[in-house]
Amino acid sequence: MTIETEWRDYDVIVVGSGGAGSAAAHAASEAGAKVLVVSKDPIGCSDTKIAEGIVTVRASAGEDDTEEVLAENLRIAGSDLPTEDITAAFAQDTQDAYEWYRRQGVRPDMDHKEDKPAVLPIALGGHTKRRSIGHQNGGLALGHALWNAVVQGIDYLEDAWFLDVVTEENDDGPDEVLGGLIYDAARGVFVAVRAPSVVIASGGLSTMYFPKTDTMRGNTGDSYALALRAGADLVDMEQIQFLPFCMTYPPAYEGLLAGEPVTAGYLGVLRDKDGKVILDSVMLRTRAECSAAIVRAVEAGRGTERDGCYLDLTGNVDLPKSGPYFEKFLHTAVSGVMATVRQAWGKNAAQCKEMWEVRPGAHYAMGGMRVNSDCVAIGDDGADVPVRGLYAAGQAMGGVFGSNRLGSTSLSEGAIFGARAGRGAAARAKTARTKPQEDRFEKRLARYADALSHDGGDAPALLVKELQAACWNFIGPARTEDGLDTFDAAVAQLRDRASKAAIPADALWNQSFIEYLELMNMLDTAQAVSLAARDRDHSLGAHVRLDGGQTSTLFGQPHSVVVRRDSAGGYAVSHAARPKTPLKRLLPHMIADAKRKLSLKTLRMMPAGMRDNIIEDRYRSVMGEVSREDVDAKTEAAAA
Amino acid sequence: MKVELITVRNGEERVVEYEYKPREEGERPMALDVLLQAQATELPDLAFRYGCRNRTCGICTIDVNGRPRVGCRARVRDGDRVSAPATLPVVRDMVSRRDGVARQLRGRLPNGLRGNDLEVAAPDDYHALTACIECYACLDKCPMHARNFEDGEERRDASGAYRHGNPFSLLKLQRIRLDPVADPAEKAAALETALALGLDACRDCPGCKCGVGIDLKRKVVKPLVVAAFGDS
Repeated sequence: MTIETEWRDYDVIVVGSGGAGSAAAHAASEAGAKVLVVSKDPIGCSDTKIAEGIVTVRASAGEDDTEEVLAENLRIAGSDLPTEDITAAFAQDTQDAYEWYRRQGVRPDMDHKEDKPAVLPIALGGHTKRRSIGHQNGGLALGHALWNAVVQGIDYLEDAWFLDVVTEENDDGPDEVLGGLIYDAARGVFVAVRAPSVVIASGGLSTMYFPKTDTMRGNTGDSYALALRAGADLVDMEQIQFLPFCMTYPPAYEGLLAGEPVTAGYLGVLRDKDGKVILDSVMLRTRAECSAAIVRAVEAGRGTERDGCYLDLTGNVDLPKSGPYFEKFLHTAVSGVMATVRQAWGKNAAQCKEMWEVRPGAHYAMGGMRVNSDCVAIGDDGADVPVRGLYAAGQAMGGVFGSNRLGSTSLSEGAIFGARAGRGAAARAKTARTKPQEDRFEKRLARYADALSHDGGDAPALLVKELQAACWNFIGPARTEDGLDTFDAAVAQLRDRASKAAIPADALWNQSFIEYLELMNMLDTAQAVSLAARDRDHSLGAHVRLDGGQTSTLFGQPHSVVVRRDSAGGYAVSHAARPKTPLKRLLPHMIADAKRKLSLKTLRMMPAGMRDNIIEDRYRSVMGEVSREDVDAKTEAAAA
Repeated sequence: MKVELITVRNGEERVVEYEYKPREEGERPMALDVLLQAQATELPDLAFRYGCRNRTCGICTIDVNGRPRVGCRARVRDGDRVSAPATLPVVRDMVSRRDGVARQLRGRLPNGLRGNDLEVAAPDDYHALTACIECYACLDKCPMHARNFEDGEERRDASGAYRHGNPFSLLKLQRIRLDPVADPAEKAAALETALALGLDACRDCPGCKCGVGIDLKRKVVKPLVVAAFGDS
């Protein structure tokens, strides 16, 4: 059908207005670039805004937390898949990133003795130092900052779906970004933007698993599909983080977060449907380990009717002296989560007096566009740039977290790499000379205009439902080769039906067209996930292959799986070798970890009174004195 | 359970009666659950906004029986009527056009706060206002916001921003006045902006209602009105 096209010129297009997008837009704008932010949701309404709001800030609790220590924590947690340059950049920039948030209005609680922001009392799992800062109102505190950074001075379109990056294909060198195409649903027009730089910061893919996810609806794999179609490589797409402790019921709350490994406290354990412990020392485990334990128990027929297991925190609150400390810790560290727990399951559950029925939920994609530490799209050997002018930041990029992301790191990641991408995109715009090539835009637009009106069979929204069910079953928290075969057949069939889907001719907010666009992005992304999951035939980190053994992190050479589109429109899979953390660096971590687990085990075996005293001492040394009365008063106030 | 959904296509309103099928015995669904199920079954092109399903992202606001509610936490009953927020122009079905609200603060709040000391704690009220999820439920019955639509004509400037304010914008401005990092000039500018957006409308208003329970009247409107007009 005919739909009006509006032409615009910018230096930089930023796709997405969450943590990464707003930081990118702000940095590019500060560097003098003319920036357009494109967001399908209202500005700032992103995963950053709805997160628990805990941010990694290196050395926030002491100077012994060096850049090397933090970077190594990321790489070891990620099974050496995170790249050295990217983890070094992360470790270098956490403090600047946090200062950026604060200059946009984030006001942490202060540690008045130290005259600096208060740090959470326990190191989150996999962090060897305490370095996580929580905030009143959780992610909302950061959401206001993102909103401020964009709304204050940058051009933006919301209710606008970014369709594709437009590139010029060069035979004798890398392709070049020419700009991008947008469907502005609220005005019912296409917008064609000429711009030499595009930053992809449009989040993750968890909506492929809806409703088993705790993230924003907008996570329809747009980032990865855009990158693939623009000719960029993806890495680590099989590595999708499932938060282990999401709610199995009631229906309106399904998938929402109930807690983190660290909030299991010193005595939290996981149990199967019969009450048998399937994982102890939960507090010291990674999210991947906990999720895998639940998935394997369910697979072995030991799960509940809702395919979950029980998270049992009762041991923490049974102790008279240390119990109040645990409760206070829980309600301070994850206040938003505890409010949800109380609404969904009631007061006894919120006081941890009964077990919680939980199941993993999709939360974060560790993989993404293959980039260097300046967020530039790269190919093999870090050189070999596939597309000039293409950047990715935040969840859209790969290489930061590998096979497992540590708690509280993504909110830093968005601001860190958003700023890096924004600066790079602005610098390129100063020197790049894009040629006017309207025909490249028009050819693409004509295809989208065709799709905008389509007589046919299936409604795109219903195809989305089918795809979501298949994603959970076959490329979800547990995978097998047979399952992947079934999945690939389902994807092929859905693609065929999508090409014949029913879309009414309507320019203004055409919901079927929107569902179709997102379906196509989910299909492209799901196919990349499936290929990577097939290629990695052993379990590693968040990737659980029920039909393969565990990958040894001690021996063997680590590699990332790379997926790209080949010239014929198919997909190609290859490997990128990653350097291995030397055994002598790895061993101390393994020993320290074993010691911590042993110490928890010893605690559990002690007489209750002695256990209570020791745990109380540990909490008190970082939290100060806490009494039963304080905690009860706080909980009552929170409930009111 | 029957719920009435008001669909809007090309400006034309229709009442669609949707029969909700409970997913477990005795389920009391939220308005968003009804919309999701309707879209997944009989009304696949139903347009509505949602994000986190956890009362935080602020975008699933709809009207239930004519009153604004956060859709993911608004339980509905047999015979209830769900429609787009009536305080803003409807684009399609449950989707209203929101972006004229935030745009009115463009360039009117401090951006960056360079050089100020960050190592200070904010007062409790600053955090109380930070709980705002931008659901725009507060636009309901707001006499200041209503000025944007007087005589049936929508008042936006060239950038698309509404000329007259609303409790959300006032909250953002009062937040600057409570921010220990903002300097006096920025705080004074925030009050000027509140006046320019039509703060005088608040003087005779019984008060606004927040979608997530922030005491807007006492923590936002009153301090601004007192500072501007000396009223108490």
